[in-house]
Amino acid sequence: MLEVLLGGLLLGGMYGLVALGLNLQYGVSRVLNLAYGEFLIGGAFIAFFTVMSRWQLNPLLSLLASVPIAFVLNWLIYRCLMLPLVKRAPDQDALDADVVLVTFGLFFVLQGLALVGWSGDLRGYSFLAVANPFLSTHFGLMIAQNRLLAFLGACGLALALFLILRHTRVGSALRAMTIDPVAAELMGVDVRKLSALAFAAGGALAATAGMLVSTFISFSATTGVEYTLKALIVVIMAGVGRVTGTLAAGLLLGVVEQMGGYLLDPGLTLAINFGLFTLILLLRPTGLFTRA
Amino acid sequence: MDRRTFVKGTAAAAGASTLSGRVFAQAAAPDKIRFGYAITQSGPLGPGAESTSISQYKLWQKRVNDAGGILLKKFNKKVPIEFVSYDDQGKPDELLKLTERLIQQDKVDMMLGPYATHMNLAAAPIITKHEYPVIMTTATTAKTYELAAKWPYAFWNISQPNESAHPLSNALGQLKKEGKVTGRVAVVHVALEFGVEMHAAFVEQAKKDGLEVVLSKSYPLGSADLQPLIREAMATNADAFVCMSYPPDTFMLTEQCQIVGFNPKFMYVAVGGVFPGMKDKFGSKVNGILVYGGVNPGEPGMAEYNKAHQAMFNRGSEAGALNVYGALQVTQQAIEKVGEIDRKKIRDVIASDTFPTLWGDLKYVNQRNASPWCVGQWQNGEVVGVYPANKAGAKALLFPKPAWS
Repeated sequence: MLEVLLGGLLLGGMYGLVALGLNLQYGVSRVLNLAYGEFLIGGAFIAFFTVMSRWQLNPLLSLLASVPIAFVLNWLIYRCLMLPLVKRAPDQDALDADVVLVTFGLFFVLQGLALVGWSGDLRGYSFLAVANPFLSTHFGLMIAQNRLLAFLGACGLALALFLILRHTRVGSALRAMTIDPVAAELMGVDVRKLSALAFAAGGALAATAGMLVSTFISFSATTGVEYTLKALIVVIMAGVGRVTGTLAAGLLLGVVEQMGGYLLDPGLTLAINFGLFTLILLLRPTGLFTRA
Repeated sequence: MDRRTFVKGTAAAAGASTLSGRVFAQAAAPDKIRFGYAITQSGPLGPGAESTSISQYKLWQKRVNDAGGILLKKFNKKVPIEFVSYDDQGKPDELLKLTERLIQQDKVDMMLGPYATHMNLAAAPIITKHEYPVIMTTATTAKTYELAAKWPYAFWNISQPNESAHPLSNALGQLKKEGKVTGRVAVVHVALEFGVEMHAAFVEQAKKDGLEVVLSKSYPLGSADLQPLIREAMATNADAFVCMSYPPDTFMLTEQCQIVGFNPKFMYVAVGGVFPGMKDKFGSKVNGILVYGGVNPGEPGMAEYNKAHQAMFNRGSEAGALNVYGALQVTQQAIEKVGEIDRKKIRDVIASDTFPTLWGDLKYVNQRNASPWCVGQWQNGEVVGVYPANKAGAKALLFPKPAWS
């Protein structure tokens, strides 16, 4: 029972991790990026090729490559593709519609490229696929090290993001943009520059999440969209622009899914997931962690 | 010119060009044989389709064309293969549209099958309607027993749920009699038609074989964590673990059994168990795992095939893909026996002759493969066929499965 609960927390950590970058992109840059999952899978592939390379390197090293690549690519996407849309959009609703179309197209292009380059084969590798020795000997709990690593990664990144947003000048500006981009601009915040920065950082977070998730879930060139959807659910549950809320919403989703599967039936996990999502949409349409 | 006249004009032109094509074909050999297929390239089933089917289509095309093509006796000429293909996105309605398109608009000479049971079933009536013989290589459903007669142009290549599940139960029953297992079996299955049918077939037979099914649960496709399920199986003290699983979960089940230290003496995973990725990921720990489908690595021509496969895809071939390659070989041999593209005659040859292939000798009785490989096992780092035990090249069961570490 305790193990199931912990398993749910770890799973939820993963959901939160996957959603962090998307929330940064959507919350701060105001761009709903449907190609988000492709960058996550990109991170996973770079990790895979790092492990499967001749030198059989540690997948963590792949972050040295994937994070800068994702950062630069996402920065370029924002500057070249999104900015023209932002400039011409009369309001947020119009922007949302344009952005969804463009990023949907981008998703197809990126997935197509991934299919051509990496084929549709299912990939996976073994990394830290053992139970945590401390928890298993002292408490008899079997907790996979790779899932634990992803969980700690999620907490670490959420904490870092939280601290940056709370205690730095850039962070204050980013928060101001989340609340009211027009007012922020009037106060002298360079909204376009910071939006590009947040978007790029979101992409880098996606690549990091992809690497961490790839240590325990097999993936292929076409699985990115599943992560986009999961992330979207978590972001909407948490409330757009809430960083710590994203992690909390992810944890909630993971625990409810796992406990429901354990207490009722594993076949019901999807139904439980979407049931929770619907419930939250009905009761708190702006998200769990937004102040009304 | 308004739109309507334009459409009419185009249609007339297209009609004229096909007509002239036909006249021309009577005079001389065709310069190519056009094969059409619609298959899943994106979506959750994309990776499986790539690994099992598409890769084999491409490899077969290359190898046949490198040898000059398919020999058409009537013209005494070897004719190369050309493909026309589309992505059905895993949607049956899309598949139907594309199949119609391939036949009516692209006017392909022959068709190849789609991927996954429900897609094979969706395609069977339509290719029968247009009288295109197709060997369905990725369908396993109890329905084929009744449907084969209805759809005379569809052939069914792989083992059906009963054929796949019964040998597992029989083997466990035998091991129980010999006192080697307790007969306590934990069975889990993916909540898809495949999983449900395999599960039902196994559980029913298990009763007859004197086994005790101590856990019987399903999980949704693409579950993110199957550890609770494995822990439940462990808690039942089962020493046999039978998973009617699909590709992503097959990997996850295998990994999570290792993490929690669940060491059943007898372990089966279904679809995806034969993927080379299993060995890439788990190394020698794959040994002893029983899998869906099998192969005789000693089949003549296997070494050349493996070499060509490695050269084309830079990875080893998947044992489950050999049934697809075998079906392509049957198609080629049938065309060569007929000597021209006469689909009715090709269908009749496939229905009656025996064809030597890399997947053993293939013979269809009532359009169903008379003796497909049903259960394989990882032994010494490769997949071998274990059941049916009386099939040429079958290896003895490796029991008990070695512990993970």
